[in-house]
Parts: sequence; C-alpha cells; structure tokens
Amino acid sequence: MRYVVGYTANEQGRDALNLAAVLARSQAAELDLVMIDPVHSPYTAVYPPESGYQDLLEEQLKIWLSDALAAVPDDVRAAGHIRNADSDASGLIAAADELNAALIVVGAASNGLFKRFTVGSVANALLHAAQVPVALAPRGYSRSGTLTRITCAVGNRRGSEDVLETAVATAARSGLPLRLVSLVALDASGRDGNAVLEADLHAADRLARAQELAAGRCPVTAVVAQGRTIENAIDDLEFDDGEIMLIGSSRLAENNRLFLGPTASKVLRSLPVPMVVVPRSFRSGPTGGTSRPTEVTE
Amino acid sequence: MSSNRIVPSTPVQSSGLSRKGLKSGTVGLLGAVVIGVSCIAPAYTLTAGLGPTVSEVGVQLPAIFLVGFIPMILVALGYRELNNAMPDSGTSFTWATRAFGPWIGWMGGWGLIAATIIVLSNLAAVAVDFFYLMLAQVTGNDSLAELTTNLPLNILTTCVFIAVACWISYRGLETTKVFQYVLVGFQLLVLGWFSVAAFIHVGAGTAFDATPITAEWFNPFAVDSFSSFAAGVSLSIFVYWGWDVTLTMNEETKDPGKTPGRAATVTVFVIVLIYMMVSLAVLSYAGVGEGELGAGNPENQESIFAVLAGPVMGPFAILMSLSILSSSAASLQSTFVSPARTLLAMGHYRALPRRFGGISPVHKSPGYATIASAVAAAGFYAVTRLLSENALWDTITALGLMICFYYGITALACVWYFRGEALSGLRNFLLKFLAPLLGAIILFVMFLKTAADSMDPDYGSGSSVGGVGLVFVLGTGVIALGAVLMLVMYFRNPGYFRGETLRRGASGDQA
Repeated sequence: MRYVVGYTANEQGRDALNLAAVLARSQAAELDLVMIDPVHSPYTAVYPPESGYQDLLEEQLKIWLSDALAAVPDDVRAAGHIRNADSDASGLIAAADELNAALIVVGAASNGLFKRFTVGSVANALLHAAQVPVALAPRGYSRSGTLTRITCAVGNRRGSEDVLETAVATAARSGLPLRLVSLVALDASGRDGNAVLEADLHAADRLARAQELAAGRCPVTAVVAQGRTIENAIDDLEFDDGEIMLIGSSRLAENNRLFLGPTASKVLRSLPVPMVVVPRSFRSGPTGGTSRPTEVTE
Repeated sequence: MSSNRIVPSTPVQSSGLSRKGLKSGTVGLLGAVVIGVSCIAPAYTLTAGLGPTVSEVGVQLPAIFLVGFIPMILVALGYRELNNAMPDSGTSFTWATRAFGPWIGWMGGWGLIAATIIVLSNLAAVAVDFFYLMLAQVTGNDSLAELTTNLPLNILTTCVFIAVACWISYRGLETTKVFQYVLVGFQLLVLGWFSVAAFIHVGAGTAFDATPITAEWFNPFAVDSFSSFAAGVSLSIFVYWGWDVTLTMNEETKDPGKTPGRAATVTVFVIVLIYMMVSLAVLSYAGVGEGELGAGNPENQESIFAVLAGPVMGPFAILMSLSILSSSAASLQSTFVSPARTLLAMGHYRALPRRFGGISPVHKSPGYATIASAVAAAGFYAVTRLLSENALWDTITALGLMICFYYGITALACVWYFRGEALSGLRNFLLKFLAPLLGAIILFVMFLKTAADSMDPDYGSGSSVGGVGLVFVLGTGVIALGAVLMLVMYFRNPGYFRGETLRRGASGDQA
C-alpha cells in the first residue's frame, strides 16, 4: 500500500510528512513524496526572455526533496518524485492515480493572514477533486509514534456507509480502538430533544453495523457529541494525541469524488487532530486493505 | 532506511515539456504573433513613446519609427544565436558573463534589471493615469481624471498597482491563452479605430490642425540634428522592445524550425503597420504645433492618447482608456517575471547576496527577488515623480538609454563569444559577427550621444538636478549605482568575480 505525500519545503510540508510517517508506520504503508514543478503558460510571455530559471528551480526542488527524504524516519520506506503539473492539486491527484496510492496526505494549514481557521488552497482544491481519501495534517503536527485510536464521524444522515467501512478496515488492520461519533448542533427551535434522540438512535444503529463489520478484530464504541454549534460539539470531545478522525465527503459530491459538506468544513476548522476525508462510494479504504499491486521502486 | 531516494520521472511524464517548463508544441503561428504583439504592448508604447519622439524629431516620426527597427533586428539576430548556443542559461547576465567574464557580465545583468525596473514603474504610472481617466469617463465627472495630478495620491495609487502586480507574479499566477488573445485583439482594434477616426476628421475638415502627409515625413535625413536623430532612435528602440521574444521561442511552438522566424516577420508587419497608421493619424490630425491638442505641446507629450482619444473618438474614447489600462496592467504583471528571474540567477551564482536566489516553496516563484523588484520599481517611480516635472517622459527617455546599454552589451557578447566561428561561412559571418557588431555599434553611439546631450538641464522635459539634466542623472546614475554595488559585492563575496560560480567560455570550448 502506498500513500502520496504532497510535499512543500515549508511548515505545511513538514506537517504532512510527520502525519504520513505516523500513518505509514501504523498501516505498514510506503510513502511517495511528491513535489510539483509547475507547468508554465507560454502566453504569460516572459520578456526580456529568460530560460535559465527552470534549471535553477529543478535544482532547488531536488535539494528540497532530498532533504525531505532524509527526514523520513528510518523505519518508513519512502521514494521521492518531482512531477510537472498545471496545479499542485492536479499533480497530486495524477500521481496518486499513477502510483495506485490509497491516500493523499497534505498539510491543511493556510499561508493566509487568518491562519488558524482557514484551509490552504491546495488542501481545498484536493477536497473538491480527489478520488482517493485525503488526509489533512493540522498546523504544527509533530507526532512521531503510531496511531492510538480511530474516530469516525457518522453523520446523522444516510450515506455514511462508505466512511464507516473504511474506518472499520483501518482500525481492524492494526487492532486500534474505533470510536463512532455522532455530532449534533442544538439550535434554538425547540426540537432539541428530538435531535438528540434521533442522534442516539442513529449512533446505536451505526455501532451495531460497525461491530458486525469488525467481527471482533477491534473494539468499537459510540458517542453522541452535542453543542450549540458543530464547533462546540467538537470542543466537547476528548482526543488522544495519536488519534485521527475519518469523515465522509458531502452527499453533493459526484460519485467517488470528494466534496466537503458544511458539517465536515466546520469539523475541519475546529479539529485538533488530523482528519481524513473519504469520498463517497470509496471502496478500497484509505488506510484499509487494498490489494492493488504496488510498483517497486529500486 | 537508506533506500529513500528520488525516482526519476518516467519518459512519458517528462516529455511534452520544453526546457523552460512550457508545454511543447502548443503555440502556432497566430499564438506566437499574439505573444509578440503582447510583449510590445503597442497601445502602451505609443501613448508613452509617441509624444517624446515627436518632441525630438517632429514630423519625421514615421521615418524614425522605421529606422529604429534596424538596430533592433541586428541585435535580435545575435540574441537568437546566443539563445540557440546556450539555451539553458539564457539571460544577458549569464551570456555576458560567459563571453566577457564577471565584471561586464554583472553590468549586463544590471542593465537588464534596471531597464525592466524602469519600465515597470512607467507601466504602473501609465496604468494609473488611464485608471483615473476611465473613472472620469465612466462617471462623466471630469474632475476624477485630475486626481492623477495629485502627487501623493498618484504615487500611492502607482505603488498599489505595483504591489498588486507583484503579488500576482509572486503567486505564480499566469496569463491564459484566451486572455492574451482578447487583450491583443482589443488593442489592435482600438488603435485601428483611432487612426480611422482621426483620418475621417481630417477628411471632414474637423481635425484640430490638419496637416497634409508629405514624403519628407519618411525621410530620416530630414531630422534637424544628429542629437535629435540619436534621441529619436533610442526612443524608437523602446517602442520595438519585446518584438524579439518570438525569436527566442523554441520547443513550445508547433514547428520550432519555422514558427519563430515566421512569427517574428508577421509581428513586425503588424507592428510597423499599426505604428505607421497611428503616427500618420496623429500628425495629420493634430500637427506638431504647440496648440491645445498639438503633438508638439509638451503638456500632451507624456501620454498622447489621454489628450487625443476624446476629441478623435468621441464617446468611444473610453475604449482607448480600457485598452491602454488593460495592456499596461497585463504587461506590468508579466514584466515582473524577467527582472525577478535575473536577480535570482545573480543570487544563485553569488553575484548578489544569496537571499536573492531564494525560491518560494509554495508558489515556486523567485520570492525575494520579485519583492525586491517591486520595491525598486516603486522607489524609482517615487523619486522620479518628486524630482521631475514630467516623470513619464523622463523615465521613457532614461529607459531608451538603458535598453541601448544592455542590448549593446548583449550584442557584443554575441560577437565575442562566437569570435572563433566568425569567419567560417557566410551565415556565421553575417549572423554571429556582422549583424550583432553593427547593432552594438549603433546602440553604443546612440547611448553615448543621448547620454552626453542629456547632461543639458533643458533636455527631455527640462527637469534638472544640480544643473545637470534629470535624464542624465537617472540614466547614468542607475548605471553608476550598479558599478558601486558590484564593487561592494566584490569585496564582500568575491567568489563570483573569481570565476568560481560561472566560467568564461567561448563557442567550441569543451563544456
């Protein structure tokens, strides 16, 4: 199993690399560090003409990539790739496709002025177009061990079957405890009681389904988290350092593509641990067992 | 594990891209012509360059525009030979360093950077003028157009335009094919419209100062003095600056053997045609007198279309404003790329402090060098605006000087680099020796003559510093500043100057 890491030589890139190493170690995966060398439009018409820049850029990318490979922990196998692409997101998606990767890992933090609550443009573009799960490393992610628990957000709507299967496969693969979370935002409309009751019933249903899928390979629990807003509900939850949260993409997404729904967006903005967004109808599992052949790089 | 390594791209992945990171075989003849015209930005060069040139050569404007092309093509032929011989290190800086060693190479790079920084500040200022003019035309409130004469507001707006263009360039955002086609088509359409409308006024007897076209207008020897001739030629080099981009195209064209040459030829015909139409239209309509709309009136010379578009095109003058605003804004953004990359190359080879060689990890653009270019352009504009009564005019004249300087060095680099093959065959003799040598001689003569004349405090717009003409101070001051910085770098970090990072060489040497 291979994971593509969208690497840039900055804080986000290191966040992504750290998360990828943790995931790879827990799931016995290999990493492909991918750096994107942008394809330029001839219509930008650089004048006075200048043709030395591309070589200097390629030289710099190789240095950055070698440094990144040297920083990968010794117990994780990794290869480096420099890809030409029109955009970072399209290059990473193409690389994931070509390398048969089961997951794309990127740093989620934004470079922008309002850093804390915005998702970087590459992560955002991936979330709208990737056909494999995308793992988002939060700003400053520096864990170096393995995963300790998997949390799976089971929305209170139907259609969460894919993410549940993926979460069970991931947890079962390394015997990690799986926690199902049903998030409820209580509004002031007076139907709060019903909402909580519905969420409780839904959580119980999902728990039963997960236990059936897990077949004893990993412990499964379920919890309903409530708050005035989704953000508050998240704040109420406890997270381990070695935890990741899986969430399904929006029902609005085309089959097998990611699209972040409003709930997932809110979760992303307040989540202290990495988040893995799973496309609808994704079957092979991000961190679960895909049996596709992997290319051997010498 | 020690097995971690970079996997080379598979051939499938890496083919289809040129050395410059461009998709191969995507640009046809029309596309290349569009790129060529867009680099020249005729709407911008005419509004900025036509007035100052008329002030030098009067009605011989068409003649000078024709003659000005000669040194341009001579140098461009040499430029193309260098580009073919050293395609991976293509800038005046690396070429001149390879041919002449570090000192002249440094000054060649500096001349290119200075020329582009000056043109950046001028592009931004022209964009700002037409921005306010367009606001006035849209709202019908003429006082808005006057805002550009408010000094602090003008400098501030210009800095904002530069900052926005810098940001776009830093983010690595690029111009698309469709955008470029629309921009160029619109420019040519509006310039054609202007010319036709002006001739209709002349024919209907409603022109400001109808002047009959005579054969003398095309006679360069009718220019009254050699000084005026030299100044006119330096200025007309500015109006063709950009044309040679088509000759340096290569793998990105559909047929690298034929497309670049054909595109250069077609571009020249298009540009000469449009320049002749517009200059004849302006002269016939407005004359070279100093009257209200006269092309000889110093008030009108810094931006000829700002004055003439209204009377000539009536309510459609707003199209002219839009065309100049869009073309100068687009050029502003794309022109940032070149000085930033040259600064980056100089930083990389330690000809400048190492931080100039920094590449933005996210956008893969020359981060520090792009911002440095913007700061320099904004600073240059603010200083010129404060010192000069007519900043646009003086910067264009100084720019003409600077282009002559770095083009001259590049042309000589070609002659010297290929000295070993100059006599082997007629083609080599003409293209690698005679053409660039003649081009360089013409350019240096123009440079020296214009520089000497510009010491006169009455030169150009008539601004001066300490009794010396401002154009001289700007032109030679920038070159002298480069020489000082070069010495500072030599004492602080002599590696480049000792040939440790870039070596001298000539064609035929072992790599």
